[in-house]
Amino acid sequence: MMLARVADSLYWIGRYIERAEHMSRLSDVMLNATLDQNDAAVQVARVALAAVGDPENHLADKAHLEAVQAMIFDRDDSGSVVTSLARARENARQVRDQITTETWERLNMLYLRVTDSYAEIEFSQASSSFLHNIVADLHLFKGAADATMSHGEGWGFLMLGVYLERAQLIARLLDACFGDKVERDHLSDHLAQMAVLRMACALEPYLRAYTADIQPRYLLEFLLFDQEFPRSIRFTTARIEEHLTKLSRHAEATGRAGPERLAGRLSARLEFADMDEGQGPGAILGAVAAECSRIHLAIYETFVAYPLEQRLPA
Amino acid sequence: MRSGDRVTREEDGSVEVEDSAPGPFYLPGRSYDEMFEADGGVRAHYAAMHMRMTTLEPTELANRQRTLEQSFLLQGITFTVYGREATTERIIPTDLFPRIIPASEWAKIEAGLIQRVKALNLFLADIYGDRKILADGIVPRDLILGAPSYRREMIGLYVPHNSYVNVCGSDLIRGEDGVFSVLEDNLRVPSGVSYMLANRDAAKRTFPGTYRTAGVRSVERYPDLLLSTLKSMAADWRPDPQVVVMTPGVYNSAYYEHAYLARLMGAPLVEGRDLVVHDNMVYMRTTVGLRRVDVIYRRVDDDFIDPLSFRRDSGLGVAGLFNAYRAGNVVIANAPGTGVADDKAVYAYVPEIIRYYLGEDAILPNIETFLCREPAQLSYVLANLDKLVVKAVGASGGYGMLIGPHASQAERDEFAQQLKADPANYIAQPTIQLSTAPCLVDGAIEPRHVDLRPFILAGQKMIVTPGALTRVALKRGSLVVNSSQGGGSKDTWVLTGDGN
Repeated sequence: MMLARVADSLYWIGRYIERAEHMSRLSDVMLNATLDQNDAAVQVARVALAAVGDPENHLADKAHLEAVQAMIFDRDDSGSVVTSLARARENARQVRDQITTETWERLNMLYLRVTDSYAEIEFSQASSSFLHNIVADLHLFKGAADATMSHGEGWGFLMLGVYLERAQLIARLLDACFGDKVERDHLSDHLAQMAVLRMACALEPYLRAYTADIQPRYLLEFLLFDQEFPRSIRFTTARIEEHLTKLSRHAEATGRAGPERLAGRLSARLEFADMDEGQGPGAILGAVAAECSRIHLAIYETFVAYPLEQRLPA
Repeated sequence: MRSGDRVTREEDGSVEVEDSAPGPFYLPGRSYDEMFEADGGVRAHYAAMHMRMTTLEPTELANRQRTLEQSFLLQGITFTVYGREATTERIIPTDLFPRIIPASEWAKIEAGLIQRVKALNLFLADIYGDRKILADGIVPRDLILGAPSYRREMIGLYVPHNSYVNVCGSDLIRGEDGVFSVLEDNLRVPSGVSYMLANRDAAKRTFPGTYRTAGVRSVERYPDLLLSTLKSMAADWRPDPQVVVMTPGVYNSAYYEHAYLARLMGAPLVEGRDLVVHDNMVYMRTTVGLRRVDVIYRRVDDDFIDPLSFRRDSGLGVAGLFNAYRAGNVVIANAPGTGVADDKAVYAYVPEIIRYYLGEDAILPNIETFLCREPAQLSYVLANLDKLVVKAVGASGGYGMLIGPHASQAERDEFAQQLKADPANYIAQPTIQLSTAPCLVDGAIEPRHVDLRPFILAGQKMIVTPGALTRVALKRGSLVVNSSQGGGSKDTWVLTGDGN
């Protein structure tokens, strides 16, 4: 049992942390890949900008370094790394009594570093190490949380946020590579394919599973269906289902489509899906995105913003 | 080193002490100094600390100070400064040298505080009950019944153990004669205890050796003693009462403290929006539905706890909370309406209040106080504005006050007009030279004025934590220690002995 508002904050800490990590890694990969003047660079930049969602094309017009700088530091952009970290910390401050000091300090330190007045200068002088350090610090945060927080309800909400966000981010990345809107040779370059795997932090695990023979089809299969890779959609969905099952055991809510049932359905669909069924990858990716939004709403209805009348003591 | 000696440090690290006339190094002035005797000798209980202070290289002192500040920043012990371009977070300035109090002095402080809080609780029970003290003419009726902080809603309510004030943070100061007196009682929502604990934590890491050998009494039990104090206020038939800490929210300047106490007590930190009242019971909204709340340690002012009973425009409170309290279904700590007893005008009567209820003389004296509501005292105050500190009765935090000796004639004249317009709103006290303690200021050890805020818990029994928040006026010569006015803080060591 915990305060509904606190559960909500923990859930959002998880989401913002995951978002900041993904954004930093993606930016780092993009900057690195675009150092070369070749096809791969063009493909990578296109995929990266599509994956972060740049509908008005205001990033595409900028030089790569400037675009990334905006993706990191733009406070007005709700998806930027600094915004995500500031929001994660703001939420952490509101539930400071629920997270351990070790966990809090990792996040607080990272926040102070990226909002420091020298941060942008540091970034422009050594962008790669700056981004790399953000990712490393976020891993430290997750490690500290894992090692010091009780793996109870609060932990469940934190992880739920991490995995739901991750599923949506990976789905969006794959959609930018294989979705219905993209052309066939969108991701034809070997180096570009490697870069996409890097964006999902998947290059080394992929190589162990499929060797250096990178095929778009395998890449898609790996990131969608692999059972053991922690960033595949199947893996994240299984974790979402697990955490929700545990959390729902306590909730008094019954009789409506609980979030754990929605997660179970998505999980089962991924379990038995097959790329050769005739449906393109766009269909599955779309379903993943839609189901994730539905799970998000169901979490709210069940744990956070439930109607009081149903929960008053008789 | 003796006070006033000039110390120069050679490049090879050796320390050379010139036995010369008072230099810029440490000038206690005419105030009582916590470390040095009037003749320049080091007080026995400061000997070990003094030794450590003077043997450490200035660079090493600066390093330790920096480490200390870093750790505060890292822990998030900060307040937010809203600037023109960016909002930044600053730590409350904190000084690395502890202020040290020997056992014999502390024994008197402790006895005095217990006596005082006991009497004030009896006073509150009386003025919300039979009003005997008013009928007997000890305290003027209109002063109490006319005060905005007097809550009619509290009349005739049962308060367990007559403990209206469960958490008290009184401000003590030490005058030139070395005697501790009470400057102010904080009976509403006193804050600062988290700084006491954070400062202790830091001091132990800054001076581990000195700490170990000095024999310092520990303050670390405060959170669990607070929890048991709060639980002792719950109804007997609630076997395992649910205690919560209620905060106005993350934007409150004391939010760090609210979260800190909640975390260390293992109690949920709630905001008004987390609570619901139904059938005069208080519930919190949890992930598994509504759960009953028994004790609310509220860090929200009276005015804001319940928009139905107090301020209608309050968004911080819980509608119906006060009715649940009246019905005896929840405990609010401190009780609403305690503010009337820490009013600056009522303060002047506390020695009488102690005598009336306990038949004892006050162990800790008051500061001489002139009530401007009395015409004779008002004319004395007006004639001596250059010597007095004048304070508005309702204000706190160092606002709305005039420090006569430090003010210009124009400021004094202006204040005199305000005084004459509304004399009942003001009191005056002689300017007290607060005692000084050594502080590290820009790399040098200098005396700064300090006060002392110990914390008293009162539930079924009374507990004085053997430690305190020592607040420091960081500006040279300044007597204002409030953090809103540029004050800082330092750890306070209460020794098990007298350092002999």
